[in-house]
Amino acid sequence: MEMKKPFEPKILAFLCNWCAYAGADLAGVSRLQYPPTLRSIRVMCSGRVDPVYITDGLKSGFDSVFVSG
Amino acid sequence: MELTQYLLDLSGIGRNRLQVRWVSAAEGQLFAEYVTEVSDITQKLGPFDPDKFELPLAAVERTLNSARIRWLLGLTKQITEQGNVYNEKLKKEDFKKMLHRAAEEEYQKALIMQVLEERPLSVKEMAEKTGLAVYTVSLRLNELERCNQAGLKQYSGNAPIFMGM
Repeated sequence: MEMKKPFEPKILAFLCNWCAYAGADLAGVSRLQYPPTLRSIRVMCSGRVDPVYITDGLKSGFDSVFVSG
Repeated sequence: MELTQYLLDLSGIGRNRLQVRWVSAAEGQLFAEYVTEVSDITQKLGPFDPDKFELPLAAVERTLNSARIRWLLGLTKQITEQGNVYNEKLKKEDFKKMLHRAAEEEYQKALIMQVLEERPLSVKEMAEKTGLAVYTVSLRLNELERCNQAGLKQYSGNAPIFMGM
């Protein structure tokens, strides 16, 4: 019998190279637990994120978009 | 980002699909907390179906790409802080209101342009397809005509049929 998989969100993340990306790195190094739902893209600055990237992300099937810097 | 969230609300997708958080390089703990929080929010919202929101998404994208919105956003600082040569400035709230009004109009125009891309339509058909009121459609259509973005194609009986240009 096939088991119904629980919904696991897919989140597109834009992380600033100097802030959030380094923060994510630190979280990894300090072995902090967080959900494996992010698909991250490193950008050189969160100001680099054009609003159109967000609609593009939603269009390509992500459940939400996370911008962090 | 605030404007994008406003547009997501306007289009029925909901602003919560876009989350913005500030984390510094030293805040690994905070980052982990935010990821958990954003994950929980998305979990509650449930899966996003891009096919169901095809029209609104395309219209939001069109709006964000429109010259009017891009110029306004780019001039935010100048309008609210530096002022013009007469030293007239807009208050931050007034600017935000103006920006939202502009975004709403551009979004309605984008919806119309989007449905006209498929085939020429009458005002009534456009209103049905976009979910806008007939009056709103004719207002925006008028603006589009003045900018040469839409025009009259033919008459079907008494009803004028418009096309995108």
